[in-house]
Amino acid sequence: MPTNLELKMKQQLSENIDANINTINSLLEDNDDLVIRTFYLQFQQEIKCIMFYLEGIVNANKIDSTLHDLMSYRSANKATENQESSNKELAESIQKHLSHNSSVMVCSNIRDGITAILNGDCLCIIDQSDQGLCVSSKGGDKRAVEEPMSEQVVRGPRDGFTEDIRTNTALVRRRIKDVRLKMEGLKVGTSTQTTINISYISGVVKKGLVEEVKQRLNKINIDGILESNYIEELIRDAPYSPFSTVMNTERPDKVAAALLEGRVAIFVDNTPFVLVVPVNFWDFLQASDDYYLHYLTGTFIRWVRYVAFIISLTLPSIYVLLTSFHQEMIPTALALTIASGREVIPFPVLFEAIVMEIIFELMREAGLRMPKPIGQAVSIVGSLIIGQAAVQAGVVSPFMVIIVALTGISSFAIPNFSAAYSIRLTRFPLLIASGTLGLLGFIGMFFILAIHAVSIRSFGESYLAPATPFKPSDQKDFVVRFPWWGMNRRPQLASGKGVRQATKKPTPPQEEENSNKGSSSVIEAGKYISHEKADDNSKRGRKQRKTIKLADLVASKNKNDQDNRK
Amino acid sequence: MARYFWRTGFMLACLLILTSCVGKREIDDLAMVMGVGLDLVEAENGEQHVKVTAQIARPADARGQTGAPSGQTGEPIWTISATDKSIFGAIRKLGSASSRRIFWAHSYVIVINEDLAKNGIKDIIDFFIRNPELRMRTWVAVTPDNASELVSSLTGLEVIPGQSIDGLFRYSKITRSAPRTQMIDLHAAYLSDSTELYLARLKLESNEISNKQPEQGEKQKNITLAGTGVFKGDKLIGTLSAKETRSLLLFVEDVKSGVGIVKCQDDESKFSTFELVHETLKVTPDYKNGKPEFTLTVRTTAKLVETDCTIGFDDDDKIAELETDIENELKSDVTNMLDKVQNEFGVDILEAGNVFNNEHPSEWKELRNNWNSHFEKAAIHLNMDVKLKSGALLFKPTTSGKKVDQ
Repeated sequence: MPTNLELKMKQQLSENIDANINTINSLLEDNDDLVIRTFYLQFQQEIKCIMFYLEGIVNANKIDSTLHDLMSYRSANKATENQESSNKELAESIQKHLSHNSSVMVCSNIRDGITAILNGDCLCIIDQSDQGLCVSSKGGDKRAVEEPMSEQVVRGPRDGFTEDIRTNTALVRRRIKDVRLKMEGLKVGTSTQTTINISYISGVVKKGLVEEVKQRLNKINIDGILESNYIEELIRDAPYSPFSTVMNTERPDKVAAALLEGRVAIFVDNTPFVLVVPVNFWDFLQASDDYYLHYLTGTFIRWVRYVAFIISLTLPSIYVLLTSFHQEMIPTALALTIASGREVIPFPVLFEAIVMEIIFELMREAGLRMPKPIGQAVSIVGSLIIGQAAVQAGVVSPFMVIIVALTGISSFAIPNFSAAYSIRLTRFPLLIASGTLGLLGFIGMFFILAIHAVSIRSFGESYLAPATPFKPSDQKDFVVRFPWWGMNRRPQLASGKGVRQATKKPTPPQEEENSNKGSSSVIEAGKYISHEKADDNSKRGRKQRKTIKLADLVASKNKNDQDNRK
Repeated sequence: MARYFWRTGFMLACLLILTSCVGKREIDDLAMVMGVGLDLVEAENGEQHVKVTAQIARPADARGQTGAPSGQTGEPIWTISATDKSIFGAIRKLGSASSRRIFWAHSYVIVINEDLAKNGIKDIIDFFIRNPELRMRTWVAVTPDNASELVSSLTGLEVIPGQSIDGLFRYSKITRSAPRTQMIDLHAAYLSDSTELYLARLKLESNEISNKQPEQGEKQKNITLAGTGVFKGDKLIGTLSAKETRSLLLFVEDVKSGVGIVKCQDDESKFSTFELVHETLKVTPDYKNGKPEFTLTVRTTAKLVETDCTIGFDDDDKIAELETDIENELKSDVTNMLDKVQNEFGVDILEAGNVFNNEHPSEWKELRNNWNSHFEKAAIHLNMDVKLKSGALLFKPTTSGKKVDQ
């Protein structure tokens, strides 16, 4: 049984302008921001027009210019006798001739008109015409493109995504000027009608991936999408898993890089976080900096991050299992130091570790939620009370503070925030297992986590690839970041075996090669030789004649080549 | 999926939490033994019992204040002893006197009294290897003194005596006055069919001058490396002095540096001292007339480190003579040691059987059943090759600048 509202939405625009006004008014009643502007065409004063728009989400300048255009409109059909028919076609005629706006659509039913109004366009209905005009006037306040807060780089582009999807797609399109770059759009959310763009480079993306993404997105039936995590959780693989199988990023360069690798990006309106699928676990440990710095530096900082990952996952557990189960595994001198620090501590190590971890999370959370000016207070309280007073009071051992601090810092070194969180979470089962069963518990829990991680997939790709399953060709961008001239192929998740780049390792110009390259290189070769000659002159005068001979030889060879070509 | 997920989670939680931390022992609830001493004592009923002395570290005193102020006694170690028929029995008795669980894994050293060692140490080897908590890298030594006294005396620069003994062994590569014997070596030598075992020897020696009463001279005792204890089977049969040990170490360990002292060529009452570096020994076994023979070649580089004579490095003939002197000196050292090992003890602690086995495996099968007696009779030829290469910073002899008319 369709409701009253649905019936109204389904109505066609009628020729009676008052009926239309009533319908639209009743649908959009009780809205303070709805503006209804009545006016008459300047040259056909008898024609009444009404414009609807929602204040705040429209661009006032565009409304002004639209009004100006409409009022000064002079019908091309004015000479014709049949005034009525001309009025009927008026909307279409205006659409064709009103060239001042970039996008004008003709709509013939209430639903389209209302949708246009809600999207920030203005709806203009004209008396005696059963068609309305939807004039694009989207606007309103937007945040400017700023440096992304959650992923910062030292070297690399500083622009970040904003809440506006068009700005976001533009940031990517500005980077990839490829005709194959696609931005397929769809709307999700019955109330929010959130625009979603699926972006990919056709031909690079693996067959079926885009279809799979679309299929999963189409299955979503929800009233609202407020952030891309809604989408992420609704389409992801392994929905219970703590590991994220969908990447999110604020960086357009990261999205562009992912697209070039054959991945699919999902833009969601009203959030600066763009989703990227499929991903491997290791992608969360790689930052854009890796690719923008010297390859050795990039490799080194990547290792630092891998170490940070291992520390943040295992360090508290290892400390707990060593000090409460396997003291024989600690070097003697260190064992004494730990024992002396723990001499007065009344709690077991496991309890101490859990409490300290929770306190650390508390401080981090409080620092984040607090108004910024008070944020300082948290760090002072944290460092003084927890760091020093608790140790002095004999509640916490100094070693535990070091362990927890080291773990915390390491977890901040993981570039992706949500990945850092999932690692932080998996640390707790590990901690409890190693605090209750020692090394056995640690190994057991670690294996459970590892087996789980191996078993999951992200949009058809193994989560732990290229480590396991081992993919030899993908190793160039895994433990070691190869120089760009060494990374020739796209990762295996891209379609086919496309060569990504065929530049060879840069080398100094070679005589032999140059001499075979025609007239311009003749001069080059000559230059090169004469250079050498000058060098020889200054150093070893005796060899001069020989060098000149070589130069002559090259020149004559060039000449021969040229002749042959002729 | 959801049911599977929650069920697994629940079972895991039960598995972990319901174990109630079985086997947990906090590090601060442990009495960490730093050194063990084993003595032979006579019980009231005339039986011979073992006395186990444990040197236990007080972490708060050993490390000072690391965290909260804790009660400190000023005594970094606490030593207790117990006596029983077996080592394990004594160890159990120790536990009844300790407020913390006695933890043996961190023990730096095991010291065995020589009287006990003369009766055989098979049970000791067995106990310390059977126990899973103990490290195979623990130093093992014998001592002529009371092991309990040696273990409980505060000596050396370290706060914990066990640690200073550990340091003694660790840096003994230069002094070479005792072999570096660890539990694992002991085990290997005992199980081997060719090599007899030997242990380092520790001694308490009065060589420390009290800071408070320096006029009394060297009164305070310190633990010193003092030669080698030689075993036949599991019984101690004799000792090698520190000097003899230096020659022994050529055979059984890598040596970094040695010392050779020779008389001056022009003045018999004065001496020159040489440091011997890069000392290598090559043992070439041979089998002649049903008897094993060994040819030893010692190569070394000598460095002049101290001299009372006039030695200049510009005179090649003199240098050659000096080299011969050092060779003779070294030769007599090695011959003395060989003589003692072959004739007095009659046991192969030089790993000669091992070398022979590698070279002549089929002959070894005939000899191995009675190897020690064959070793006793084996002819050993000694070749020395000393190269005197440098006078350290000085090329010419140090002479006084004052000119005296003769």
